[in-house]
Amino acid sequence: MVLRLRLARVPGPGGAKRHRPIYNIVLAQARSARDSKPMEVLGMYDPVPKETPGAKEGDRKTKEIKVDVSRAKYWLGVGAQPSNTVWRLLAMIGLVEPRYLPTGQQTQNALKAVRFPVHQNAGTSGKTRGEKAAASKSMKGNTMVGKGEIGAGTTSPMNPNEA
Amino acid sequence: MFAWLKGPGKAFRKPLPGSSNYLSAYDRQGNLIRKGREERDDRGRFADLGEDEVLKETEDRDGLPKEGARDLKPYPLNAQFKSQPVLSEDLRRAINELVTENGIDLKAVSAAFGIDVRRVAAVVRLMEVEKAWEQEGKPLAKAYNDAVLAMLPTTPYRPSNPPAHEPINDLPVHPWTRQQIFLPTSESRVFTRADAAKTFHPSLLPADERIAHPELVQIAKWEHEGFDRETRQRLMREKDSESVARKEMKEYKRKQWERRTQVTVPGRRWDFKFQDISAEKVNKDGRGHEAVGIRYGMPHEDRKKGQFKIPTKVE
Repeated sequence: MVLRLRLARVPGPGGAKRHRPIYNIVLAQARSARDSKPMEVLGMYDPVPKETPGAKEGDRKTKEIKVDVSRAKYWLGVGAQPSNTVWRLLAMIGLVEPRYLPTGQQTQNALKAVRFPVHQNAGTSGKTRGEKAAASKSMKGNTMVGKGEIGAGTTSPMNPNEA
Repeated sequence: MFAWLKGPGKAFRKPLPGSSNYLSAYDRQGNLIRKGREERDDRGRFADLGEDEVLKETEDRDGLPKEGARDLKPYPLNAQFKSQPVLSEDLRRAINELVTENGIDLKAVSAAFGIDVRRVAAVVRLMEVEKAWEQEGKPLAKAYNDAVLAMLPTTPYRPSNPPAHEPINDLPVHPWTRQQIFLPTSESRVFTRADAAKTFHPSLLPADERIAHPELVQIAKWEHEGFDRETRQRLMREKDSESVARKEMKEYKRKQWERRTQVTVPGRRWDFKFQDISAEKVNKDGRGHEAVGIRYGMPHEDRKKGQFKIPTKVE
């Protein structure tokens, strides 16, 4: 059986709600039920776009994703398969190459010029990058810096004043 | 009744200028008791004031002596109830000016005037509301305000030698301390307030640390140790700058942490905000309720004691 990184719809803190989905990002056996206990909870995904605190009228809303990047990387490294949705989310921060890209000459040229960070050696640095790739790079770089600073390298900090 | 209204009760028709006018300040014949005391203790109370300040304050009260503790009991049958002074209009304006225009720290103002820092903050907020209302053309209840202030004891604004406004010995009564506990201890044991707090609840702070205005208490301690006013103010300023630095450090750390663990990816219609978290906060049994994500097989703790769903801050 294969391990999957997938979403599991869970009842929120106030109990199960219609029209108010909230998902755990979990690692589970592919053939196990959605609601069964997963092997590991890697984070959560709130698919309902919310206004950021202090936002003005017409500001863009945000969808919140919390994920343990180092654990996700580890499980991808040992062959866990992300589901389509999780693949899309993880691609945004450069943990996997995007599964679907807009087709056409422009995209082909862009892909020739830029490979995604997962396919690059640690030493090489990209030149001109797309928005997504830049974002992913910064996230990866940031987390790596973070690990170095913390020391143990196993946990990401959750408390801003801890580390 | 009419005999009283025409006799001793006549004094209560109009408020005394610059003073409270409570029942207990008069004797049965309707004479102001403190008039007789005037000569004896007025000098001692104003020993630390300049001559012209004393004159000005006495003039405000039409030559009457200042009311003492026993004149401030509005209910003759309840001797424990003492009318507490409120901030005078001048003092309120001065506080607002110091904070908003001169940009002086709330804590420093609180320490200088002996006012609880929460009250200083409230004054500033309410003055803002007042200004906004004036701009909108909303009528203010000035007559009511003036009438109430004329009847209550007030703390005057004396920039050179401000009188303390708050009694600093008042202890807030925590609901957990209302129960009666019989705790056998050995006679030789030194049982402090910290021990008492632990007896009530393991996580309850001792009474000294629950006081809402530790700065005022600290100043009183320095005064007790014999530091003069300049030294006290200097020490307070040092403490303030330390706390400001601590706050800035915390903010800097938070910024660093955000830069390290957060990234916002712009999508077509909305932004995706990614936050790097630690999945290991679940503990070994997988039940840590501080961890991100909804836990499996764990009951919610939202009905437990001390869980509040009402937001405590506005962003």
